Amino acid sequence: MANLERAPRKSFNDLIYDLIFKNYVWQSIFRTGYPNTPRNQMLAVATNVFLHLHPTRIHRTHVKITHTYCLGGLSFFMFLGLTVTGVLLMFYYVPSVERAYQDIQALEANVRFGQLLRNMHRWMAHAMIILVLLHMMRVFYTGAYKPPREFNWVVGVVLFILTLLLSFTGYLLPWDQLAFWAITVGTTMVGSAPVLGDESKFLLLGGFSVGSNALIRFYTLHVIGLPLVISIFLAVHFWRVRRDGGLARPL
Amino acid sequence: MVSRAAAAVRTRPRREREQEVLVWPDLVFIEFISALIFSIALMVLSAMVNAPLLNRADPDTTPNPSKAPWYFLNLQELLLHMEPAWAGVIVPTIALVLLAAIPYWDRDQEGQGVWFGTKFAGRLAIFGFTAATLITSLLIIWDGSLHVVWTENIIRGLGLNSDFSWPGGLDWFRNLRGFDTGIPWDSLGFTIGGFTMFADWRAIPLGIPGTTTDPWLLNLNFPSFLSQQIIPVATMVGLPVLFVLFCKALGWIHTRRDIALLIFSAFIGVYLTTTIVGTAFRGQGQDLKPPWDIVVLEE
Repeated sequence: MANLERAPRKSFNDLIYDLIFKNYVWQSIFRTGYPNTPRNQMLAVATNVFLHLHPTRIHRTHVKITHTYCLGGLSFFMFLGLTVTGVLLMFYYVPSVERAYQDIQALEANVRFGQLLRNMHRWMAHAMIILVLLHMMRVFYTGAYKPPREFNWVVGVVLFILTLLLSFTGYLLPWDQLAFWAITVGTTMVGSAPVLGDESKFLLLGGFSVGSNALIRFYTLHVIGLPLVISIFLAVHFWRVRRDGGLARPL
Repeated sequence: MVSRAAAAVRTRPRREREQEVLVWPDLVFIEFISALIFSIALMVLSAMVNAPLLNRADPDTTPNPSKAPWYFLNLQELLLHMEPAWAGVIVPTIALVLLAAIPYWDRDQEGQGVWFGTKFAGRLAIFGFTAATLITSLLIIWDGSLHVVWTENIIRGLGLNSDFSWPGGLDWFRNLRGFDTGIPWDSLGFTIGGFTMFADWRAIPLGIPGTTTDPWLLNLNFPSFLSQQIIPVATMVGLPVLFVLFCKALGWIHTRRDIALLIFSAFIGVYLTTTIVGTAFRGQGQDLKPPWDIVVLEE
């Protein structure tokens, strides 16, 4: 009885704090306490599956915005945003010559925030290409491709190609004049390749011209094939950034 | 034996702890803010600008000009100046392979981890980018025969000669095709010891068998081969070499990194110029036009 009376009274803030961060459920999700001490801050990064892409500590020059301009991270962020908006778009879209265009019109006219959703997906795709290009320039001009990071630069070039292919395959899906003729022009360029040109074009289109086979091929590549491949290369890319010693630093 | 790459990892200086900051909060905060800014910016953009949606696809109605997506318009631009196989496939493939090969060629670790790490990096980048942009623009103007139009307009406008038109003797300099159509190839045959050499430059019998799909190998059309393949390829190989020699003469190049900086910057210049020209300056029939004069017709 006497002991209880002498215990310091908790302030209201501390009560709320304990209620949120020290209850059984919270601590089952986040093993560490709130990251307000260096120890907890490091554990917060190390024990979280998403954050542990990062090391727990990082050289101070690397958190300067002007060193990376966050370009690689933002490219990945665009990929995530495109995945989310893309999955939502799949609810409203059927990849058939009869329905595709109609579905896009219906999405824009009848679906709440449908136009916004499509716009987001479109502009994010453009932004991703620009960001990937800028990221490549950043890595080049900071000499960050030099040993031991040679292979990760190659992975980066592959990711750039995959980004272009993802965007190109998505370009056909609205099935309007813009889409149809852009893909016709693009695949004609493929067809002009020496030796395997016509074969590659046929493989890509599932025929001699852009039609229903091309639409289903582009759709499948766009929503599952290429995203799977790019995810694998992204995983390798991020893993190698850590393995090769983080961001490049002067000797 | 330890490989160079492995040795490079091993010989890294030990981390100085006092030079380090914690990822949480320092980095995570920056990532969060930049993601937030981009989300808001894209949301605002999407609220203001709608994604384009034209009429339903119609294989019987061709828009003029027909264009690939903007990020392939650099290749479509190349297509106007050379054999399609070079522009659409071979050049981009070689460019990507060379791009990927940079770190295997420039292995020196000097100058990594800082922007423009070598002494002359800044001016090499600026020179490479600017010169490549200018030269590419000039080449596009030349191949678009704008210099012909401009010369005619200026001479007529000055009142020197109101009927002036580009002299026939300079037809070969109208554009790249001029080397094909503007030179009297038929009169260029000559006779050695009773044999007439190159009586027909447009069908030089090479007789390489099995090349029926590539007739130019069976009977070489030399004028077309010259203008569509030799000159474009020589330009694409020659100009970078000239760039390097020029900067070497200026004393700006000391390492492979310097060469890489110069060529990469020039590449970025060409990439941007061709993309912008292809996107904004190509009208009907892929003619050069200012952006405000471009109308898309459906035919």
